[in-house]
Amino acid sequence: MTASRMVLRSALCWLGLSPLLLLVIFPFAVMISTALKPIDEVLAWPPRWLPDHIAWHNFADMWLAADFGSALLNSLGISILATLLAIAIAVPAAYAMARLELPAKDLYRQFLLVTQMLSPVLLVLGLFRMAASVPLGDGTLVDTRFGVILIYGAFNIAFAVWMLASYFATIPRDLEEAAWLDGCTRTGAVLRIFLPLAVPAISVTAIVTFVAAWNEFTVALTLLRDPSKLTVTLRVVNLVAGRYSVQWNQVMLATLLATLPVAVMFATLQRYLVRGLTLGAVK
Amino acid sequence: MRAVRRAAPLLLILPSLLLALAVIGYPLYEMIRLSLADVSRFGQIRGYVGLANFARVFADPVFLSALLRTLEWTIAVVGGTVLVATPTALILHQNFWGRSLARTLVMLPWAISLSMAAIVWLWAFDGDHGMVNASLRSLGLMSGNVQWMARAETAFPVEIGVGILVSVPFSVTILLGGLSSIPGDIYEAASIDGASRLQAFRFLTLPLLRSFINIAIVLNVIYVFNSFPIIWVMTQGGPDNSTHILVTYLYELAFRLGRPGPAAAVSLVMLAIVFSFTMIYVRLQAREQSA
Repeated sequence: MTASRMVLRSALCWLGLSPLLLLVIFPFAVMISTALKPIDEVLAWPPRWLPDHIAWHNFADMWLAADFGSALLNSLGISILATLLAIAIAVPAAYAMARLELPAKDLYRQFLLVTQMLSPVLLVLGLFRMAASVPLGDGTLVDTRFGVILIYGAFNIAFAVWMLASYFATIPRDLEEAAWLDGCTRTGAVLRIFLPLAVPAISVTAIVTFVAAWNEFTVALTLLRDPSKLTVTLRVVNLVAGRYSVQWNQVMLATLLATLPVAVMFATLQRYLVRGLTLGAVK
Repeated sequence: MRAVRRAAPLLLILPSLLLALAVIGYPLYEMIRLSLADVSRFGQIRGYVGLANFARVFADPVFLSALLRTLEWTIAVVGGTVLVATPTALILHQNFWGRSLARTLVMLPWAISLSMAAIVWLWAFDGDHGMVNASLRSLGLMSGNVQWMARAETAFPVEIGVGILVSVPFSVTILLGGLSSIPGDIYEAASIDGASRLQAFRFLTLPLLRSFINIAIVLNVIYVFNSFPIIWVMTQGGPDNSTHILVTYLYELAFRLGRPGPAAAVSLVMLAIVFSFTMIYVRLQAREQSA
């Protein structure tokens, strides 16, 4: 293809995408612009994209108002532990799906499919009653981070098994079989040969699970009460919900801080994700 | 030894089954029980009443309008998503400068939680200080400010728009997977046979893409039907119950109005609908694999 045709084609492609890209970028522009403004500029009409003064103190104000530090720690702890739980349970199951003769494999596959389709919000009342019926310490699982971790873990297993099994199936068997011939036990071959090869797949799955837990709203909203236990998403929503006057510059700064790390992580991994998800969704 | 080997795969999937039993199975059982019971607002079961909760729910005008609105919501969001995602995927499948940047940008909304996206758009559509009003006015498209979220006639379409925007990346992903599975040599064969590019698109790409579009539609229907945070954060089903869909209505019944019995009944009705869509998806997949 000649260079001039490539230029034309690239211009047309970008032009075709531009309305969508505008809508994708618009909320980020709103977040950044509002987060940097002092409140009198936020409430001025007409609003302008660039602030006259950059209000650096928004950061400290928001951090205090939202107790953002402890919210970050809660989100981080809950998401990491939920991810570990889901991965620890999903890896053996995915190995069985991909490598072993699993009796009733089709049944298990349908079980995974159905659990994947169930969104927690449909079961939310039952989840609350389940949590309330499990005694823990002085109370129950209600208003504990442990309860949230358990539920996030459970709802991510189907996806994790699905994704891991489709990756595991692409790891060649020969290496493991060669290890058996060299006198390695089946378990030994799994630990020394298979798992190291599966690390990339496990990391991608772990990151998707982490992001899902980090972004989750409904279960946290239902289960968590004590302000010191709230996650970032809940904290940010609470800065808006039911308030008579909302400090929008603080809110936008908080959404930006809650969103940016995950968005960057996601953008760098997007290639692998596309592969894994299409394998899971279509095959 | 042979028995151990036979049992090993089952042992490996056992933890996943146990956790699902505790966190999905038990809550499901509890909800079936609640839906058939007379339950106090504190969750005390006072006796079983058969299908009375279902009857009450189906006689409730708020439920019926939420059911209808769920239909509108699902059709509008899924339809809009497919209409946006299909051309987007076709463009992203082309070879052009900056394609990987374009892909990353298109996928970006996926990384943002629905509740955060809802908050940002809520502020952008703010009637007195929002950037949407300001931008539309500076473009000369409007003369006065619109209080978008104050009335269902404007709030609900805004929510639909946000729903479409956040659903596009997932659908583009599925369609791109479909496009990359179409072998390139059929296009060569077609061009040798004298087919124009438009004909190749009409008679090769679209039919081959159709099964992936179907899968994207069904999966989106399931996700969108269940989508809670956008409407809950932006309008909480208000003003005056005018933007409730079934999930937000169910949440309000259960945790705001203290009516666990009817709420469980609504959940079960929704579960039945999701289940039937899942069956459609299984059918489509089976057909896809045998084709």
